[in-house]
Amino acid sequence: MLSTLYALLFYTASVLMVVGLALKIRKYARTPAPLKIPTTPAPTTRGGVVLRMAREVVFFESLFKSNKWIWLFGYLFHVGLLLVLLRHFRYFTNPVWWWVELIQPFGVYASFAMVAGLAGLWARRFLVERIRYISSPSDHLMLALLLAIGLSGMTMKFAAQTDIVAVKVFFLGLMRFQINELPMHLPLLVHLGLVAILMIIFPISKLLHVPGLFFSPSRNQVDNSRDKRHLAPWAAELEK
Amino acid sequence: MKRLLVLVALLVGFLGTPVLADGLGPVIPKATGEAHPEGNLFMRINHMNLMKHDRDETVLKGDREISHSLKACIDCHVVNGDDGEPVSVKSEKHFCVVCHEFAAVKVDCFQCHNSKPQITTEALLKPELADANDIATYLKEAEE
Repeated sequence: MLSTLYALLFYTASVLMVVGLALKIRKYARTPAPLKIPTTPAPTTRGGVVLRMAREVVFFESLFKSNKWIWLFGYLFHVGLLLVLLRHFRYFTNPVWWWVELIQPFGVYASFAMVAGLAGLWARRFLVERIRYISSPSDHLMLALLLAIGLSGMTMKFAAQTDIVAVKVFFLGLMRFQINELPMHLPLLVHLGLVAILMIIFPISKLLHVPGLFFSPSRNQVDNSRDKRHLAPWAAELEK
Repeated sequence: MKRLLVLVALLVGFLGTPVLADGLGPVIPKATGEAHPEGNLFMRINHMNLMKHDRDETVLKGDREISHSLKACIDCHVVNGDDGEPVSVKSEKHFCVVCHEFAAVKVDCFQCHNSKPQITTEALLKPELADANDIATYLKEAEE
């Protein structure tokens, strides 16, 4: 019964996340950028922009330049989350890809980095007067949600283990439209329930900074306004 | 929103179709001895904790009269290969490997421990093995 409920929950959450994200990305892609506003010093070539964006995505360059300790917590969290997510591929692939097998132990340590980063970022929202003033409930809720997901996952790794073979059979089954028995294990049900909630609210939350980063005019524009006139298509219409 | 509802409806429709034959999980080999009093599910979830706990009992406290020894696991959960001999952890058929490969969990035990049942002293003293050639072969294998 609960297995079916969780299966339906994950199907719904997946559809909402994929469709919601696609709609949001379409909206971002269609939003006009009427002005040339790259933050200078900015690259003057397309290749330079790609490189700058890559540094932004991989190293969080802007954040590093503006605030070292926020960068440290943010980076700890994001890199930890990345490794933990990659580690979870073992539940969806059979046979497990070799590199997923290779990073399993790193993913375990990464969970500590992830939780430490989240704790630091959440402390920032309480301890820094200026940040506390501008923090909205959603800022706190997203941190609480991610922290709860991380801690419930770590509970299953370090304290109350679950039957992971059955968990994998459940998810392999979902990918083949077949509902198998999910272990009735509280930390697992909490973990999966929170992940489904995260997937559902992803397209309407601040987590949209993931696709949003690539559409930031101040980061994705070439600084060539002195060589080429910047003319948005809709503005060109007006000039006719 | 309408499109979204149609998609969800389509997916739920899929769920109504007959379930494919299951068998997504690993095929776990049958053991040779008595069933665990704690039950299979308990052992599936907790075997590593039991073995680690008993390892500490043995290594740190010197207690060898432990309830969950790796040796007993290996003896009872023996799987024979095509040649009728017990397979080692290098084989995909090995009891531990079947699930550990499925879940991508590395087994460190057998870097030191034997993954096959030990040949006991009594077995070595059996007349059919007490042949000089057999012993020589056994010793050679043991060296490798």
